[in-house]
Amino acid sequence: MSDAWTGRLSEYLDAELSGEDRNQLERHLEGCPECRLTLEELRQVAQRAAALEDSLPAENLWPGIAERLGAEAPAEAGVVDLGRQRTARRRVSLTLPQLAAAGVAVMLLSAGGAWLALSQSGALGGATAAVPVSAVSGAEAIAVATADYDAAVAELQDILTERRGELDTVTVRILEENLAVIDEAIAEAQAALQDDPTNSYLSAHLAAAMWRKVHLLRRAAVIASATG
Amino acid sequence: MRTAALRGATLAPEQSGTGAAPDTVDARRAAAGDQAAFERLYNGHVARVHSLARRMVGPEEADEVTQDVFVRAWQKLGTFKGQAAFGTWLHRVAVNVMLGRRAELAKRRGRTSEGDGLVESLPSRRSHIELHMDFETAIGRLPAGAREVFVLHDVQGFKHQEIAEMLGVSTGTTKAQLHRARMALRRYVDR
Repeated sequence: MSDAWTGRLSEYLDAELSGEDRNQLERHLEGCPECRLTLEELRQVAQRAAALEDSLPAENLWPGIAERLGAEAPAEAGVVDLGRQRTARRRVSLTLPQLAAAGVAVMLLSAGGAWLALSQSGALGGATAAVPVSAVSGAEAIAVATADYDAAVAELQDILTERRGELDTVTVRILEENLAVIDEAIAEAQAALQDDPTNSYLSAHLAAAMWRKVHLLRRAAVIASATG
Repeated sequence: MRTAALRGATLAPEQSGTGAAPDTVDARRAAAGDQAAFERLYNGHVARVHSLARRMVGPEEADEVTQDVFVRAWQKLGTFKGQAAFGTWLHRVAVNVMLGRRAELAKRRGRTSEGDGLVESLPSRRSHIELHMDFETAIGRLPAGAREVFVLHDVQGFKHQEIAEMLGVSTGTTKAQLHRARMALRRYVDR
């Protein structure tokens, strides 16, 4: 069933044998019915693989994806104006380097390195202006962007604290439960990254959790503003 | 729809007439933050990505990994320059995400990255389940290394050099793994 040429049949099938090897194998095939049969079987496997058809997932995966992307695109997240309805309240206008910087932090983390993300990206737009690429290391850029992310989160949490009374108790409870879950995920990812700082999956996981937190806080702030 | 579309996508640029193809236009819109445009891209490519995920990481994790792929693509849209077809670019993103998840998924399943390799069991030991296994299922039962090379080469149309770079191995290894996979799958070709 197996001889010295059997292991070369796939290479022959894919036209990857050198001229001399190919000639020798073809001479061998003339006198070896087993290798001819195996070659035909391998050809059928390759043809079967190339003919496999795609199929849709059983469930629509888009809602879960959309949730992870956030209700608004990062590029459009520059301004959240929650102060129109209640002039007596603090006007909230989160611009760069806050919410956009939060997005930058997420992108830096998810890209697995600040230098790569900054050097690649026109998508970072104005947010990168505060972080000159040539002036900082990747770790420093992440630290700067993460600090802005923290500032944005703190700002949103202040708003929610101020307007907490305008949300019903069920909403507050759900909000707090979800924030606790996200905070736990962030803490776990950060701890794991300390042990394995180059793990791109952990970076992406942390970035996704951070973005979920910003998104959730923003939604809650908007709801509080609308109901107040 | 044909799965091995990478060859076609590579050879057929997404240009029609004088304007950019719909995918390219949607990719540009999505890069600017248009989620509706990104949803159209999702609808056009999800079957291909999910099928790749099913074959590369298994049906149990395919949904989760497919979501990861599209989230990752959204994050990286700024790097899509429209020089290749969007489908080709997305495919690269998908493969990278899936290869990046290998170790974690193997750990989650409680087995090594070389997989359980049921398909390569000797005929005399074949189980009842294996005797009735179809071709797709048999692919999923290949050892991880052979499965990845087989899917990338024979299903997706990548070349050995590309696969070797993605997996961090030599082309000699990828050729040996491909042959190993094909030999193991011969008995399932009609199922």
